[in-house]
Amino acid sequence: MTMLSVKGVTRRFGGLTAVDGVSFDVHEGTIKALIGPNGAGKSTLFNCLTGFDTPSEGSVSFEGTPLVGRSARQVVRLGVARTFQNTQLFDEMTALENVMVGAQARQGTGFVAAALRLPSAFAEERRALEDAERLLRLIGIEEWAHSLGRDLPAGIRRLVEIARALATAPKLVLLDEPAAGLNGTETRELMHALFRIRDAGVTTLIVEHDMGLVMEVSDEIVVIDRGAKIAEGPPRMIQKDPVVIAAYLGEEDVDE
Amino acid sequence: MNRLLRFVPAAVLTIVVAVLPLVVADRFLLKVFTFVGLNALTAVGLALLFGYAGQVSLGHAAFVGIGAYACAFCTTKLELPWLAGFAIAALLSALGGLLLSLPSLRLKGHYLAMASLGFGELMSVAFVEGSPVTGGVNGLGGIPFPAIGAFEIREPATLYWLVWGVVGLAALIAFNITSLRPGRAMRSLHGSELGAQACGVDVTGVKVRSFVLSAAFAGMSGALYASFVGFISPSVFTLSVSVNLLAMAVVGGTGSLIGPILSAAALTLLQYIDALIPGLARETAQVVQSFQADIYGLAIVLVVLFAPGGLAGLWRRRGGERP
Repeated sequence: MTMLSVKGVTRRFGGLTAVDGVSFDVHEGTIKALIGPNGAGKSTLFNCLTGFDTPSEGSVSFEGTPLVGRSARQVVRLGVARTFQNTQLFDEMTALENVMVGAQARQGTGFVAAALRLPSAFAEERRALEDAERLLRLIGIEEWAHSLGRDLPAGIRRLVEIARALATAPKLVLLDEPAAGLNGTETRELMHALFRIRDAGVTTLIVEHDMGLVMEVSDEIVVIDRGAKIAEGPPRMIQKDPVVIAAYLGEEDVDE
Repeated sequence: MNRLLRFVPAAVLTIVVAVLPLVVADRFLLKVFTFVGLNALTAVGLALLFGYAGQVSLGHAAFVGIGAYACAFCTTKLELPWLAGFAIAALLSALGGLLLSLPSLRLKGHYLAMASLGFGELMSVAFVEGSPVTGGVNGLGGIPFPAIGAFEIREPATLYWLVWGVVGLAALIAFNITSLRPGRAMRSLHGSELGAQACGVDVTGVKVRSFVLSAAFAGMSGALYASFVGFISPSVFTLSVSVNLLAMAVVGGTGSLIGPILSAAALTLLQYIDALIPGLARETAQVVQSFQADIYGLAIVLVVLFAPGGLAGLWRRRGGERP
């Protein structure tokens, strides 16, 4: 079943067309990868899908609900969470607290309820804490739980951000270069985490430069170059696609 | 056990503050400690706004002023009961906070600081020019003491307890808010607004509420000040006061309530150093008092350079080194 449907999304900045009429679907329960050379427009597209930017043209629908024109907060509350290429952690909070912020999307305790110490506020707090601890274990970074955001190594920051995105209880999660800054062992751990996320029923759209990871985890790949889609299909097909090889794979060291 | 230990500083502080009037017989010293309470109240509000939500306000004296003038006007010209004047003062200041929160939705960092500075200057001109209400440069006098029903609070010790009672209540509200969901939302804004948005944090709502609450606390402080001193004039609510208040929040540190309360105490007591240390040479006291603004400024510079998290940050770091 189609979960996310992207149709003719275009984003222009003045005279520059960063994303040019891109269309693709993400099916429920799958891992889809979005790849392309640097500057191909992947992050701009991510922003257009998550309410951080508005497409100049085109439509995006999630489970039949249009997303264009909605705020980032509305999008995440509908069930689409994301991470950032430049991690946006809260440096003065611990990893655990960072993940607990993810629960804000579906919590209801306001200033008044908190000031009055209503029992509902504490119940919500407990649930958020338990969820956060469970997610840190799912991603395999529970030993970092009590380290401050600013003390975390780059690779762990990315993983904490993934756990935080999952704490919003999304149906679809968009990961922007989750393996950047990870060493070989960490990348393998990330790969297992991605499968566990899929098995937990969360659909994934991933932007990634690590081709080994992409080929191994993804069910389908979309390739964009200079803002436009040039190929789409299962990994085996993409690897052999002459257009893709010309535009991307053959052009430079794929691992950067 | 560890959880209980965390409350030791707050418990010690509460006890010391509560029994102080029983130990200190000097009426002037009690007044000084009441002034400490008034600044601590504003500092709690600024701790929420600056230390938790990461929003800068260089116009907080304006909120103190709004509260002071509102309470003074209500109790003198309108002859309303004191509690009504106090409530109106808090509400009007909160309304001012709502107004100042609007630019904060578009502006960040230095630009927000400039907007708040503009707001503060605007209000200080309004206090001078709105003479039918504010009494202009002459200010308002004859402001009655606080009264709850027929019970008038005029003894230094009872005034002290009233002010610190409000400080305690405000600190409790602030503690509850910061230790539950809204506090985490505020701290996330401080960390990364993009990250906060991605987590579904209501960025606008949290900013507006932080400004409103912070301004309300400042307004209460102003109302108590007016009733305590009995006379107010525009010179009490100027930019330099705003800077002093922000200094208390910055030096006290981020993500903490006790830090700003303690630094409010320290920076306020500095002005009365001669009363605190009886043997102090008069010249020394005069030097401290005439360089007061410089000491505040130096404190800000040193904290920003060497301890960005303020005193609270240093305390946490010390604690963080233990296993």
